[in-house]
Amino acid sequence: MGLFGGTKTVHVDADILVIGGGMAGCGATYESRYWGRDLKIVCVEKANIERSGAVAQGLYAINCYMGMQWGENQPEDHVRYARNDLMGLVREDLGYDIARHVDGTVHKFEEWGLPMMRDPKTGRYQREGKWQIMIHGESYKPIVAEAARKAATEVYNRIMITHLLMDHKANRVSGAVGFNVRSGDFYVFRAKAVIVAAGGASHIFKPRAVGEGMGRTWYAPWSSASAYALPIEVGAKMTQMENRIVLTRFKDGYGPVGAYFLHLKTYTQNGYGEEYEKRWYEDTKALVGEYVDHHPVPTCLRNHALLKEVAAGRGPIRMVTKEAFQDPHKETVGWENFLGMTIGQAVVWASQNIDPKHTNPELTTSEPYVMGSHATCSGAWASGPEDYAPSEYQWGYNRMMTVDGLFGAGDTIGGTAHKFSSGSFTEGRIAAKAAVRYVMEKGREAPQVSEQEVRDLQKTIYQPLENYRVGRNEIVAGTVSPSYLLPIHGLQRLEKIMDEYVGGISTNYMTNGKLLSRGLELLAMLKEDMSHMGAEDLHQLQRVWELQHRLRASESVTHHTLFRQETRWPGYYYRGDFMKLDDQNWHCFTLSRYDRKTGEWAMEKAPVYHIID
Amino acid sequence: MLTNNPFATLTDFLPTFAMQAYLVLMALAVIAGTLFDIAHKGSARYFFENWRKSKRKSRQPIGGGELVSIAVKTAVVDVLASGEFCSLRRRLAHLLTMYGFVIYVVTTAIMVFSYPTPATPAPAILPQLWWLGGLMVLAGGYWFWFFIRVDVAAEGHSPFRVVRADLFILSLLASVTLGLVWAFVQARGGAGAGVLFWLYLIATTVLFGSVPWSKFAHMFFKPAAAFEKRVSKANGTRSNLPAPADKPERLGTLVKHARHY
Amino acid sequence: MPTFVYMTRCDGCGHCVDICPSDIMHIDKTYRRALNIEPNMCWECYSCVKACPQQAIDCRGYADFAPLGHSVRALREEKKGTISWKIKFRDGREKNFESPIRTTPWGSIKGPAEYAAPRPADFANQELAHEPDALNIEGGLPALRRNQLKQGVV
Repeated sequence: MGLFGGTKTVHVDADILVIGGGMAGCGATYESRYWGRDLKIVCVEKANIERSGAVAQGLYAINCYMGMQWGENQPEDHVRYARNDLMGLVREDLGYDIARHVDGTVHKFEEWGLPMMRDPKTGRYQREGKWQIMIHGESYKPIVAEAARKAATEVYNRIMITHLLMDHKANRVSGAVGFNVRSGDFYVFRAKAVIVAAGGASHIFKPRAVGEGMGRTWYAPWSSASAYALPIEVGAKMTQMENRIVLTRFKDGYGPVGAYFLHLKTYTQNGYGEEYEKRWYEDTKALVGEYVDHHPVPTCLRNHALLKEVAAGRGPIRMVTKEAFQDPHKETVGWENFLGMTIGQAVVWASQNIDPKHTNPELTTSEPYVMGSHATCSGAWASGPEDYAPSEYQWGYNRMMTVDGLFGAGDTIGGTAHKFSSGSFTEGRIAAKAAVRYVMEKGREAPQVSEQEVRDLQKTIYQPLENYRVGRNEIVAGTVSPSYLLPIHGLQRLEKIMDEYVGGISTNYMTNGKLLSRGLELLAMLKEDMSHMGAEDLHQLQRVWELQHRLRASESVTHHTLFRQETRWPGYYYRGDFMKLDDQNWHCFTLSRYDRKTGEWAMEKAPVYHIID
Repeated sequence: MLTNNPFATLTDFLPTFAMQAYLVLMALAVIAGTLFDIAHKGSARYFFENWRKSKRKSRQPIGGGELVSIAVKTAVVDVLASGEFCSLRRRLAHLLTMYGFVIYVVTTAIMVFSYPTPATPAPAILPQLWWLGGLMVLAGGYWFWFFIRVDVAAEGHSPFRVVRADLFILSLLASVTLGLVWAFVQARGGAGAGVLFWLYLIATTVLFGSVPWSKFAHMFFKPAAAFEKRVSKANGTRSNLPAPADKPERLGTLVKHARHY
Repeated sequence: MPTFVYMTRCDGCGHCVDICPSDIMHIDKTYRRALNIEPNMCWECYSCVKACPQQAIDCRGYADFAPLGHSVRALREEKKGTISWKIKFRDGREKNFESPIRTTPWGSIKGPAEYAAPRPADFANQELAHEPDALNIEGGLPALRRNQLKQGVV
């Protein structure tokens, strides 16, 4: 707060505004400067770019690296891999685009100082699997953040962007507004191009642990779906929002299993020490047909087999590590894998005396998440690369959404599965070059910002503080008020609605049209309650707006899940009323467009294009 | 003004022993307050239980001689040089305030006990040091209050937001500020010196009397904690921390920790 | 495993407040030292643990599922480029690990503007900064042709 507790309004004019300072945002900031030497490049981040985003604690592997220089993979191979894993539905043009650039990004990471592990025999990057290479990535984010700081005109930390601004004369973005989480100041950013590189959605479905353990989500708890809510609100089309991901990970800690399966060559068993996946072949085939014969088995189908086995009463599912961990090198890799990426798993095992040398640890399936960079690809519908994208996928600038001047990268963009950290950074770079071209071609045209809209938004943004301040007078003390809700209340309600009606853990990821419609009703009531949120301080105000973004994304997820009348990804979720995969009618993308004036969602299908063979 | 003992003229309206008794009372208040705080919170019991645990788990038992040497290092580096601070400006502000306070209190005591009346004038150096100590406290203290305090520097609060943790620094600043202002006005023969004196006394009483509720006692706890930290490093337990890596420093320092919002 | 702050080690410097990605490390009103105000939004990312110059922050596994008596502590030494870990099991077993964190000096990244500026013609093609050299392949940036993409079943 100011000297005497007041707040002021800060105006920032930029050529390119990058919202979000994670992997994608840092990539976008870096590349924007390379192409826009004289441009004003501003990066704004809700936390501190030094450790913000999903890579805060580091990573132990880069899961998207072709190795073209050694003839290991070609970009089209990666497209086929992602397509296969997502049961046929990916934006192959966007995926190829990332795959052809990503090696260069990874080489720069090494140049910047990221310690890469090397294969002692070949001297190449140490492969964990076909697409993954192993790194000592504890400082992955600080290194990448340094590159972004060297590029940006200004990096604004601790400012939460709550809304995009639109030029109402044209379907064009003109900036963004938000508030400083420390000082409370109101920030108005005006920009000629905006790149949304914010977080996807964790905490929209009820997590398995509900006390302190709520914090141990697989995907970062600070990924509050801003990547979706910001574009949805201004009418950008979204795609595949139904394609939520469920992960099979180590119990409670959700520690990563990739290095274990791929590098340590471990495998799974049921509670009786039996191999179980093949047992469910016919069951799976009845749902998805020949997709079950694809190799490698799609992630969702492996989940499906695990779920069926557990439901049949033969859990818990364990990963057999005792054999692999006898090798001291593998044991070190197994533990460091957690310490560099998901420290919490090491804590869980230390607390329960689990040593994988002597115990085969439990696996579990997580609550669902919605994001765009993993074995899933929800997000904004974006224009593809000019050199080869089909006309339905291309309308001007690469990675521009259906709103002019609004670009996206990372978890924000839909249809681009399996890009992970390196691919997200790369997509940031792709969006940046396009955004720089856009700014240059738009010339001196300054975006128009409506003063009235800004004033209205300012009132809306700070309203929860006022609700609390005034409403607080009604009660003696405590958390229960008849006139306002605390953000945690809203979050828990949202998570329960999504869990029970939209296919969360309590229904074993099952839903149907009736449940989804009821879910929409309950979400609508929560939406109305959002004008009665009470925030005691700026931290709580941030939580309110995170909830608001999560709610908007949840509405989108529910509409999309209702629209797609099939079960495309058993193991991620099931439509009880349409249990089978239906290539006849649903081998397509789902698109939605939200109209904030009417509150209506318009749904449509879009074609899927495949690389031949 | 700078060479006059400001306390001497108090004997115009107060008996000599009054101020001396007051100082003794304030000293007792600090001792009693600290002991009460320790007893009430059980912090001594916690400290010694922790000490015993650390001793039991120690890899390299510490002999008496080594303990003494650690105590000396604690006293010289951590206490006298405020060595635990990693930030230079925090360390400087603390040194200013700490030594300022010590000089100020010691010279107050000497003047009140050894040169209580105008008939026994204090050597000029004493009031000069009193003023120096007081100004050092104000310099370090206001610097801390407005710029260094983490609530302001990192949390974004207004410097005028007051919470319980501010009781010590505020009462210290109030007491020393009022003391110097009183001495200044008194030396000029100004009206209001009387009122200022009583305000000074109230602020000083709050400072020393609120020890059970303020951060005052940290000046006793912190050296104990610093000693325990050094012992924990020396006996190999290191509070469960890993040992420093056996690698040389070679990558320089990232220039960071600029204002983060 | 949410974080907590040791009373005898924290001196209220605020580094943890600055770094926490979840905005949950804040300053206690009685002691002016750090505390975790929202353990159920703590990811155990250890950013605060690593950033604390006094090693005053530690973690206790989430009470939902982590029994007491364990310890996972880290010492990140930026100037050496290392991070060291000590894991203590509830039953007393101990494991120690040490990893590199960076191979180049902090602050040494060459900023994008320090490279030669792109030529006007470069803006129109698909190459990103440092390409095609950074890809380290022959034949330049790979590309598809529009007719390589065939519309899917529906």
